[in-house]
Formats: sequence, C-alpha cells, structure tokens
Amino acid sequence: MKKYTLKRILTSFLTLLAILFILFLLMQLMPGSPFNDEKLSSDQRELLYAKYGLDQPVIVQFFKYVVNMLKGDLGVSYKISKNTPISQLIQTRLPISIGIGGAAVSIGALLGLLLGLLAALKHDTIWDSLATIISVIGVSVPSYVFALALSYYFGFRLRWFPMLFSTKTLISSSILPSISLSMFTMASIARFTRSEMMEVMGSDYMLLAESKGLSSSALIFRHALRNALIPIITVLAPLVVDLMTGSLVVEKIFSIPGVGSLLVNAIQSNDYNVVIALSFIYSALYIGIMLVVDILYGIIDPRIRLAKKGD
Amino acid sequence: MNKMETASAAEYIPADSDFRLKENASEIAIDANFAAQSFWRDALIRYIHKTSAVVGLILILLIGVLAIVGPGMNEYTYSGQNLSQKNLAPRVKFLEQFGIFDGSETMSTTSGTKVINGYEEDGLEDVYYWFGSDTYGRDIWTRTWSGARVSLIIAVAAAIIDMLIGMSYGLISGYFGGRVDMIMQRTLEVANGIPRLVIVTLLLLILSPGMLTIIFALMLTEWIGMSRIARAEMLKLKEQEFVLASRTLGAGSFFIIFREVLPNIIGPIITQVMFSIPTAIFTEAFLSFVGLGIPVPQCSLGSLISEGFNSLTTHPYQIVPPLIVMALLMLSFNLVGDGLREALDPKMKEM
Amino acid sequence: MKKMKALLSIATASVMLMSSISIPASAETGTSVLNVMIETQVESLDPQQATDGTSFEVIADYTDGLMQMDESGAAVEALAESYDLSDDGLTYTFHLREAYWSNGTQVTAADFVYAWQRAVDPDIASEYAYMLSDIGQIVNAAEIIAGEMDKSELGVTAVDDLTLEVQLVVPVSYFLSLMYFPTFYPVNQEFCESCGDTFGTSPDTVLSNGAFILTDYEPAATSFELVKNEDYWDADRVSLAGLNYQVIQDSQQALMSYQVGDLDITLVNGDQVEQVEEDEEFSSIGAGYLWYVSPNIDAVPELANLNIRMAMTMAIDRESITADVLKDGSKATYTAVPMDFAAGPDGSDYAEDQTRYSDVCTYDLELAAEYWQAGLEELGISELTLDMVVDADDAPQKVAQVLKEQWETALPGLTVNLTVEPKKQRVQDMQDGNFELGLTRWGPDYADPMTYLGMWVTDNSNNYGLWSNEEYDAIIAECTTGDLCTDAEARWERLYDAEALVMADAVIFPLYTQCNAQMISSSVTGIEFHAVALNRVYKNTVKTED
Repeated sequence: MKKYTLKRILTSFLTLLAILFILFLLMQLMPGSPFNDEKLSSDQRELLYAKYGLDQPVIVQFFKYVVNMLKGDLGVSYKISKNTPISQLIQTRLPISIGIGGAAVSIGALLGLLLGLLAALKHDTIWDSLATIISVIGVSVPSYVFALALSYYFGFRLRWFPMLFSTKTLISSSILPSISLSMFTMASIARFTRSEMMEVMGSDYMLLAESKGLSSSALIFRHALRNALIPIITVLAPLVVDLMTGSLVVEKIFSIPGVGSLLVNAIQSNDYNVVIALSFIYSALYIGIMLVVDILYGIIDPRIRLAKKGD
Repeated sequence: MNKMETASAAEYIPADSDFRLKENASEIAIDANFAAQSFWRDALIRYIHKTSAVVGLILILLIGVLAIVGPGMNEYTYSGQNLSQKNLAPRVKFLEQFGIFDGSETMSTTSGTKVINGYEEDGLEDVYYWFGSDTYGRDIWTRTWSGARVSLIIAVAAAIIDMLIGMSYGLISGYFGGRVDMIMQRTLEVANGIPRLVIVTLLLLILSPGMLTIIFALMLTEWIGMSRIARAEMLKLKEQEFVLASRTLGAGSFFIIFREVLPNIIGPIITQVMFSIPTAIFTEAFLSFVGLGIPVPQCSLGSLISEGFNSLTTHPYQIVPPLIVMALLMLSFNLVGDGLREALDPKMKEM
Repeated sequence: MKKMKALLSIATASVMLMSSISIPASAETGTSVLNVMIETQVESLDPQQATDGTSFEVIADYTDGLMQMDESGAAVEALAESYDLSDDGLTYTFHLREAYWSNGTQVTAADFVYAWQRAVDPDIASEYAYMLSDIGQIVNAAEIIAGEMDKSELGVTAVDDLTLEVQLVVPVSYFLSLMYFPTFYPVNQEFCESCGDTFGTSPDTVLSNGAFILTDYEPAATSFELVKNEDYWDADRVSLAGLNYQVIQDSQQALMSYQVGDLDITLVNGDQVEQVEEDEEFSSIGAGYLWYVSPNIDAVPELANLNIRMAMTMAIDRESITADVLKDGSKATYTAVPMDFAAGPDGSDYAEDQTRYSDVCTYDLELAAEYWQAGLEELGISELTLDMVVDADDAPQKVAQVLKEQWETALPGLTVNLTVEPKKQRVQDMQDGNFELGLTRWGPDYADPMTYLGMWVTDNSNNYGLWSNEEYDAIIAECTTGDLCTDAEARWERLYDAEALVMADAVIFPLYTQCNAQMISSSVTGIEFHAVALNRVYKNTVKTED
C-alpha cells in the first residue's frame, strides 16, 4: 500500500509537469497577443515582449516558469490587471470561489442524495419518475437562467437576499449563487445514488439482512446507503473542482470576484500568465483530489487495496 | 437481540406471525429469465414495458420531426429580420379567442406594469407569430426548430464520434494492460487535467467558428468518460473463457477486441451514448453563453437561450420555447438512456 | 454518512476561511456616498499604463493633473494655479499651487517630470506614449520612445519646486486640453520606487492628491470604495462623502439593483430601454465613440473598387440601426468625425452638419443599387461573398447582424459572413490585414478632429484598410506640424477638406456616434459627462437625502 501510494504521488507530479508544458504550447497557439492594443507602435510591442521574456523559445520560458514557480512566483498579469503579481490576484479570489463552490456542492449533494434515495426506494413508481424529472430539469435549465430567475424573485421582488455578492454581507449574498450552482451536483448525485442504491439493494447481503428481519430504516441507512456512498464520493470529487473553478457564468451574474470569471477574461485578453496559473491550479486541485480519493478508496474498500498490491 | 435471548432460553417454536410474505408477486410473475428469446428481442420487450422510456422515445421522435418540418411551417425564415415587427408576443390564430396567445404581454417598467399588444398598436392584424418575434423581428417558432435541428446534429455527431474514439481507446488500453495501459492512462489523465474551458476556447479561437468546430471541440473533451467505461468492461471480460478460447484458436488481438469483446459490451456503450447526447446539448449551450457558439445569424438551442436571456426581464416569452425544447430533449434522452440500461443490462434482470 | 459530514465540515471550514479574509468595512454607507455602476473592471491604476475609460475615471477621482475639465469639457486650472505661454507658442510655463499627496509630501514640479519621463520610457512602454510625442509634440519625446535618446532629455523641466517648463516642437493649439488626460498626471518618484513593481495595485500603493482617496481596492476587483479627501486643495467644492463602485456585467442585474436603490447611476442596455424610457430618471449621454466599418481596400480586389464601397455605404440604414436596434440614443453618423466632442474656434461642433457629405454618404437604396451594378460590371462578377470580423460583445454583434441583413437585401448577389471573435483577436486580425470587412470603433483621445483624421494617413497603424492618398497626407501634415497649426480657423477649414477626401473615397463606412443610455437617481445632481478622456467626473456632484 505504501509503495502504491508513493508511486501514485510520483506519477501525479509528472502528470502535472506534462500539463504545464502542454499549457505553454497551447499559449503559443493562441491567436492575438496581450500587447496588440490599437495605440501601441510595433517597436513598443517588441519591447514589451522582450520585457516579459515572451520573445524567448517556449522551452526556455517553460523552464524559467517552473523554476520561478518553485520559488512561489507565478509571474505578473499582462493585461487584466497590469503588472499585478498573480499570487496577489488569486489570493483573495480563490477562497471566495472555493467557499461558494463548496457550499453549492454541499447543498447539491444533500438534496441529490435525498432525491436519489426516494427514487430508489420507490423504484418504478410515480415518485421515481418525479425524481428523475426534477433532477433532469435541474441540469437542463442553464445555471445562468436559474441564477437570474432566483435573483429576480428572491432579490428583486421579495428582497430576501442581496442580488449582488459582497464581502460585507458574505453569508446572505452567497446563498443565491450557491443554490444556482448546486443544481448540477444535485442532479448528478441523485441519478448516481439511485442506480447505486438499486444495485446494493439487489445484492445478496441485503437479502440476508432483510431475512434477519432488520427494520427498514436500519436496512437502508446502515447497510444500503453506507455501501452506496463509497462510489458516490468518486463522482463528487471532480464535481467539487469543477464548481470551484467553473462557476464563471454565475460569477458574472452575481458580480462575484472569483477565479472562474478571471479565467475567461484572461483567455479573451491573451493574458498568458493568468491563464497558465489558473489552469495549473485547476489541474493541481483536480489531480490532487483524485489522488486523495484514490488512496482513501483503497483504505475504505479492502478489495481494491488487495487488487492494487498486484500492480 | 431479543429473539436471540428467547431462542437460547427455551425451546422456541416458530409461529405464523414470525413470518411475512415478501410481496414480490409482480417480479416473479414475469418469466423473462427462461423465455427462449434472443437477447435483442428480450431487450425490446423489456424496453417497451417501461412507460417512461417509451414516452422519452416518442418525445425525441416528435422533436426530431418538428426540427425537420417546423421551420417550413410558416412563411418566415430563421434569419429574415423585420425590425418593424420586433418583440411581438406569441399569437396563434384559433387560441387568441380565448384570451391566450393573443399577442398581448405584461411589461414591467420602472413606473409600474402595463399590458401592451404590439399587433394592435402597430396595426398588424393579419400577422401571427406563433411563438412571438425576437428583438430583430425574427420568428421564434422558425428559429426554435432550426435551433433544435442544429443542436441535435451537433449533439448526436459529437456523441457518436466520442463513442468511436473513447471506445477504441478504452478497449485497447484495457486489453493490452501493462505498459500500454499505463502510458494510455497517464495520457488520459493529462488530457483530463487541463480545464475544458481552456482547451475548448483555444480550439474555437484557432479554428474558424462553425458547426464542425463545435463538434470537434465537444468531441475532444467528452471521449474520456466513454473510454473509462470501455476499459472497465474490457478488464472484466478479458479474463473470461471465450477470450481465452479465441486466443487459443489463433485470433489476433484486434480481432478479439473488436469482434469478440465489443459485441458483449455494446449495451453499456449505447446507454452511455444516450447520456452523452444531453451533456453535449448542454455544453453547446454553455459555449453559446460565453460567446463561442454557432456563428450568428445561425442559431442553436443554446444560442437562442442566451439571446432570450438578455430579454428575460423585459420579454420573458422569448426564452421559453428554446428552454422547454432543450429541457424536453435532455429529459427524453435521459429517460431513453435509463430504459436502455435496464433493458440491455442482464444484471438488472435478477432484481 | 460520515463522509457527508466530513464534506460538510470542509465546506463550512472554507466558508469560515472566506469570512476571515473579508475586508473590514470602511466608508460608512451614509446617504452622500454615491453608488456607481461600471461595466468593466479597472485594468490599471498606474496613470502612465492605464488605457481604458474605467481606469481613467477612477484614477481621476483621486488624482489631479495640471488642468481639469469644467462642466463643458474645457480645460481649467487644477494643480497649475496659472500658466504662461511664450509668444512663439513653443514654451508653456506652469505655476503650481500648494497641494499635498495623501502621505503628506508636497506635489512638486519634479513629480510631473518623473511621470512624463515614465510615460515615454521604453521600459514602461506606455500605450499612450504617443500623447506626448505625436499629439503633444513635446521636445525629444518621439526620439526617447524610439530608444534613440535617454528619457532625461525630454523637453520638460522643473525650474523650481512649483514651476514646470514644457518645450514643444511646434505650437499645439489643444495642448492645455491634454493636461487633464491621465497619462500626464504626476507620480511621486520616491513613493513609486518604494512600491517597486506593485505600484498601483492596492490602496497602499497609490497616492492621492485629488478629491477622493482610494480606501478599498483589490486588483481587478468587482467592487471598491473611495472616501472624500479632506486635505484636497479644493475640498470645499466636494460634497460627496465617498464613492462606491460596483462592477456589474449583467445589465438586467444592474437595472434591478438600481431599482431597489443599491445604485445611484447605472447603464441601461438597449433591450431594457423600453422598460425605462418613460421614467424621468432616464437619460442618454454621448460617449464619443464612432462606430464604423473598415473595408480592406488594399488586400481585397473587390473592395478596392470604389463603386462597390459606395454601394455598401449607401445601403446602410443608419437610422434604423440606432432607433430599432440600439435604442440607447446613439446618433446615426454620416461623417468620418463623430458628433459632440470637438468644438471649433467659433464654439460649434465640428460634425454638426451631418448632410455635409450627403452626395457620397447617405441612405439611398436606388443609388446603392446603381453603384452596385456598376461595380459588379467593372469587376466582371455577379456574386460577391465578404467576411466581416466583429467583436464578441453585445452591441457589435447586434449591429453586425442588421448590417448583414441590410446589405444582403439591398445588394443582390452579396453574401456577408460574420466572424465573431473576442476583441483581442479581432484587433489582431485587422492589424495583420487578415480581414475583408471589420466592424470597429474609435474613441477620441483629445478634443480635436485630428484624433480621427490622423488615422487615415498612409502607414498609420490604425489605417487597417491601407488607404493611401498623397493629397490627404499633405493636408494632415500641414495641420499638425506645418503652417496651419497657429491659425485655428484656417486649420479648421482644411480639416474639412481632408475629411471630404476620406468620405468621397468611402475609406470607412461611418455608422453611428455611440451614446450611453442610463438611469441617474433623482437625488443626484452634478455628475459631469464628457466624451473625451474622463467620461464621468464627480467633483461637483451632490447627493441630497431623500
């Protein structure tokens, strides 16, 4: 197990390095330039390229970047917020995105679990269909439409919650964005819970437990749900990363200073350093979470632990 | 625990009340397990017995037909503008007598709400826009169905290409195992680790925007899930006797992969395709919203929704038709996917 | 369930983490704090590096230059108490008033010298460096920008702490009006160097000498605050207690926020105008930008044909674009210089007469069809397909869709395909000459028609269509550095001659002068709007309690 863990950590690092290199190559492909403003002369443009080292070969840029990154320096923004160190740029934004994404995942997972349980327990009844419809509607209405609708009713009409995000009213102004974001998680979790629960409930040990005359609540919560939850976590983990970074549309509507909208702005204004830094953070989070899940999974489920020994 | 105690304390004679019937008459009455039917016929019967799956299929067919004939059902075209007839509410010939779809709408202004009827105000008594007209005076009915057409083409094409690539990748990786598997899985991890938004945006910036580019972009990011499923199935199947038998008879690797194993996993693969179509529809809608969708004045459901979004608080009827069609499409594909999974997966039979 | 709990606790922890970094509330939200909506984030607070209108507006909130704009947009003294101009018109001497930076040091002439040297410093590579060279004509500026001279040789000197002397190459009639442009704002050398690379990225790394002080700001923030500067030299005039800026990208959210009273001023998108047009708080204000279509005359043989270009410009129904599509009060424009930003020697607007070139630029479908037929015959073709590059923003996309429809309906055989791309890529395509038609806009940098007419000179980097006309070049040279730069009235007339050449050749198809539709709370008065340099100035703004 130790050997396996070590090996996984090592390959994760190599994967990240490869991703970083690919990101550098992708930046080369990007049409446009951060310094093509209409009023800059071509001489000035060349000077700016030289100033930021963008005139050097990709491979040199890459190695310089890796060395700087190990020192904790992610470079500066070229365009979005000129000359601001990127670490300063994301230091306040990342916690906000993680907070709202985390809240959304929690709400979504909880609702999804309930919905999925309902569907599985009342399998093939009207409840099952209803749960499916709710969860599909949850994903098929785009989050921005949902966000604006929520904002219109609860913010504008009823005035229960603020319409725009503000760090001064952190909790109340995070509620609407979190709910708008939670829909997708809710639907995925509901769907997954349903199928996992049905598979577990059909298994032999459930039949045994049922024959022993266990009460149905003990049956569901102690035996079925517990076993169904393990695979659900593997679905949840990537959703967490997606929500932390991928909430750009909702960020735009609620004026949230998060990393998602930053990434879109950066791509559209060719702010290479910001794109690379944010993409890299996303990848690191993603691979990190997958790694943790993988290792945890091994600890929880002995079958996998044994299987991995043979690797 | 009580039962245990009583059992050890004295001789216990089970009484009738200790037992209850497991009420599964409906499950055991179906003699599906032993019926002498081919797999596909069997699956078809199971599918037809699931109402929701049949409803889903009918809805898909209905939307498909409307996507083909819908744009031709009136005199408008999807790009024809008539700026003097813009922002008109839905109006349908027969229904207007009942006070619905009569072309009037309630508009909330900063100084209160008012009911307006653009048709009467502009003297357009003979004009009918069934779903209303948009901010350029284009017919929303025509645009919704041509949008549905574009979305369906994109989604189905992307899902099928995904299937081909993902399936081959997963099967090969799973079959050969060892070093090949290791390299292929790491490559996949790298591809998966780069944020989709970055890849897709870059791609759409580099290639000229259009339907093919969007299909390509969707394909590039969505094949991973498919390959995972194919690989898992392959790992399960490759140790089985029929594979060994085939190998002993001298079959080549690719023969085994595509002729022996593939037919056995077609069920989960088709199911996955059904689920990846709604994902593709949704992703396309997202791309439209960030300005990377189908080029104007062409439209897709996604681009119609993001156009309607801009008038959500002024003319809410503009977003409703594409939104409903998209929701119905996604729902139907999900229902069909569920139905197929249960119909094609023999494991479900045991339940 | 344990896992769920763990997950929940992670979520809770991150929310707590989030609250711990929240910024302590400053500026009390009293009624005289003005809540302002902006569409885009601030790109830079460095006056020499900022290039966008939002950044300029915010920098000007807390920094004064030598001059400032009065209500009508004319230059009046700010940090300069008075100035002298030499008889040959080549030497300005500014006498500074006693004013202080927010860290207590005095604003001196040396601060201006340092800032202006930064502006031309090749290491800084300021986008607006040409404001000192080509526009301002300051001695040696062009050579320094080109790297041929050291920045210390710039023609600006601090005679003493309060006297600043500026040497010009040729007399520049509008020089004083450049002095309110943020590129010319002072920077304290000692402070700037102590901040190093982080200058202008937080409240701690900027100094104020203006009406307000920046108190709460993060780079690329979605909201930030300024409070009144009690030590401002003109503090008596400032009645607002502060400014709260809020970035809102979604126009519907903006209007709703305005309606619940969270904002005092907000922009209104075209679609929403019909919701608010009967409201007395609604107004439409000129933004200065000219929107136009630039045909690639050099690279596309069909567009090199004058008849084709004339047909296209005459087939555009500009009134319909402004009235039916934009609805924000934008004005249909038939001249190469837009309306309402440059007042002539007699005080009237340069582009007031929109029928001046009506023989070559008007809406006339019959004439357009004639030109079109003539053009097609000359080229020996019957069909033509053209691509137009368009920014992926709301307004340009709308306008482009209507243009496509108008052209295709009016000119048989013409197909226009739209290529929608982010602005950066669109600009790159046009710079590389990789376009056929381009929908673009240009905002005035200073209150003189030359800010537009200077673009069509041979080899100008913004002359994307690569049009070239010797007579035109000669007129422009005459008006910038030649004999006419001292004779305002004669120069004005010559500028019309130049514009006539551009229009007669249909070098661009002008569309409209942009206006912004907005809502301003009835409790607020005295926000000054300008088409040039600073779009909004709040020094004289009063917000009364309801």
